This record gives sequence, structure tokens and C-alpha cells, in this order.
Amino acid sequence: MDDLAQSVLVQWRVNGVLHELDVLPGQSLMDVLRDALRLTGTHMGCMTGHCGACTVMIDGRIAKSCIAQAATLPRAEIRTIEGLMGPDGRLSPVQQAFWDEAGFQCGYCAPGMLFSAIELLSETPDPTDAEIDSALAGSLCRCTGYQSLRRAVRAAARALRETP
Amino acid sequence: MSLYPSLARPRTLADAAALLASLSSGGVVIAGGQELMPSINAGVLAPEVYVDIGGLAELRGIAETPEGLLAIGALTVHRELQTHPLVTAKLPLLGHAATRAGGGRQVHNRGTIGGNLVAQHPLYDLAPSLLALEAEVEWVKGSETVRQPLAAMLADSRHGLGSEAILARVLVVPMAEGLGFAYEKLKASGGAYGSANAAALVKLTNGRVAAVRLVVGAVAERLLDASAAAAALLVGRPFDAAAGAALAHAVSALVTAPLSDAQGPGPWRQAMAGVVARRAVAAAVQRAGRA
Repeated sequence: MDDLAQSVLVQWRVNGVLHELDVLPGQSLMDVLRDALRLTGTHMGCMTGHCGACTVMIDGRIAKSCIAQAATLPRAEIRTIEGLMGPDGRLSPVQQAFWDEAGFQCGYCAPGMLFSAIELLSETPDPTDAEIDSALAGSLCRCTGYQSLRRAVRAAARALRETP
Repeated sequence: MSLYPSLARPRTLADAAALLASLSSGGVVIAGGQELMPSINAGVLAPEVYVDIGGLAELRGIAETPEGLLAIGALTVHRELQTHPLVTAKLPLLGHAATRAGGGRQVHNRGTIGGNLVAQHPLYDLAPSLLALEAEVEWVKGSETVRQPLAAMLADSRHGLGSEAILARVLVVPMAEGLGFAYEKLKASGGAYGSANAAALVKLTNGRVAAVRLVVGAVAERLLDASAAAAALLVGRPFDAAAGAALAHAVSALVTAPLSDAQGPGPWRQAMAGVVARRAVAAAVQRAGRA
């Protein structure tokens, strides 16, 4: 596509389902997920990339969807927080650990905290507290529940290590 | 002129540069979007044309050039700088600085070295190390390719990078074996930015400083290359407490117009410039001593 386009066709697989969408240049991925696809588990927070409430996975790497421009993602594999539970509707091991350890208070930061934990644990199965803190640094919890978040990530790490 | 923005996705760097040259009022070059989208979301930036360079293979990858430099494509994201074996082995200072960038993993996964440098932002974390390493940059404007020291690019804002010109790659001489390095970021707030940052490279011979490079960021509008002042004080001597104190004093004295912002008031930033400089050189000396 060399030409100037005021509407851009994108092909995304979102939580396993293929979508073809027309998006507007300038529009954020977050807007399209929430408004066009009604996936409102991706939360709108700061719109500046600080808070992490809009975190999703793009092609296997976590990203802040409010500062990812939809039109620059012509083809992408996207996973939102709605796509974390298993096909049977059960919570994933990381979600379950957050539930058990009160890693959610108001829940607004949950997308950032869960995806950050998932990416950390996929690379570092037995993280130190410093590694957990650094992995969660891109997400803010305004309930100040960081102690329970740390406990939740440790519990999730144990659960994943014990999962065959 | 249209009320609605449009987007182009050129197939080659030459096409992208030609397109920018053809737009009378310029366009806005976008890749990861981490620098631009906050301003777009806030309505501060409302370009007529986005030129999406995210798909240009020519701007990807990290490789050694025939002249023995490391060439880092402008689309290289912070995460790659943190983990790429060539950076870890040959430019550990840059790899370490990339881990200290703000925004968390989410931003490290999408934010590019090109976007970071073109922003010319005094609080950002990659430029101090790249200046200490005396990096060069290569950029394309119309049909012209320009290669110049990063220091020259950062000192000039007339090059039109990001609107008329595209940064293509960063070229860096690999660090010599045994060279001590450190990036010190003093954070006083929970946010992404440091209040004073320093990148240091130190060569030790028989326990004495043989060469030093030192760049301080986040304390003034422009990064401060304090290498000459540091060398005048330190070369030929062991780095002891007295040398550290003299260095801190000298670096603070070089900061004549300190920033005063959410990261702290000016007089304190000026004082902290010396503190991070001393800490960075001390850590680099320690690493060099162990090598």
C-alpha cells in the first residue's frame, strides 16, 4: 500500500477469531477493540502509555493498546484479557493465582498485571521479587495492592511450574 | 487538505523518503507509535499524513558491518537491545541502558531505538550511552543519505527527522574487551523518568584510569558530554574517594541551566548531575577492575 488511505483494512485474529476491519489512521488499537469489537475488558486509563490498564498481546508480546496505532497493524494476532480463560470457561492458572491471592482489588489494572505476569513467567519460571517488580513496572495499581500482586505472581509461578 | 488523516505504507525506504519529500507540509513517520500516540490521543499532534515505516525490512536487525561496526536498524525495539547476543557481547552498556528505560515491558516490546533518538528528549535513556560510545547515525532525506555523529544530530533540530527525514540505522564501534561500563539512573519519582542519568566508560591500566567517557542526561535541555572534564581530572590516577568528589563537583559546575520539572527542582538536579556521574564512573571502574 503506497497510496494515501483514509481508511485502512486490517486483518486481525483476536482471541482466535479472524476479523477484517476498516480502521482510521490515528485510531488506537484500544479504541477498535473496545468500540468495534466490544472487548471492554481492555481498560481505558491514561491514554499516555503510563498506566498499563489497556495491555494486550500483539503477536505474542505484551503492548499498551492505547499507544499502538491500529492502522499500523495490517495483520496481527491479538489476545485480550477476554482470551485468557480456557475453552471450558475456567480461569487460567495465572488468573486463578491472582484470584486466590487477592491480586485484584478494583480490577482496573488487571489486564496489565495479568499480561505482565504471563510474559514474565513464560521467560522466567521462578522469578525473584526484583524480577517481579521490574516486570510489573509498566502497570500502575492505584489501590496500592502491590504486595498482593507480588504474592499473586509468586503463586502463579508455583502453579505453572507444577502444571505438567 | 483534508480534515481526516491518511496513512501510507511504503514498501521501501527510498519510496518512504520520496513520499515524505513530495508532501508539501511533510508527514509524520510512525513505527511502534510509543512516542507519538500519547500526543495524538491528546489531540496535540494531528498530522494529515502518517507514513508507516514499521514494515520496512531495511530498517530491521542488528549486524556487523564490513568496517567492523555494529549496525542497529532504526526499528530495533528496546527488548531486542536487552536480549540480542551481539549487543550483550559487544555493547553491554547499551543493553543495560535499555533495561532502565521507562514504560515497562509493554513499551520495551514496541518502542524503537529510532523513535527514541528522533524524539531528542533529554530524559530518555538510550542517548547518554550512545553518546558515550560515540555512535553515528545514518538517515535518509529525499534521495540523500546522511551519515553523521549522533552528537551532531542531537545538537541540530533542522534535519526534519520524523517529518521529512527517516533515521535508518545507528552505527557503533564495539566496546573493547575489559572496558568498564555503567549506566546510572537516579529516580526520585514512581514515573518513567530519571532525575539525573549518567553513562560511563572507563579503561583501567594497572589500577589507574587510562581513558574515560562520561555523558550526563536528564539534568538539562541537552545531554552533557563531560568526557573532557572527567579525563582531565581522572586520567593517570586511581579512582579513589577524593577523585570521585572532585569529579562530582566538576560535573555539577558544568550544568549551567538545569531543568526544573516533575523530576525535581533545578538546583537539586544540578547537584544530582555530579552524584550520578560519580556513581557511574565508580561502577564502571569496578567492572573494569574485575575484567
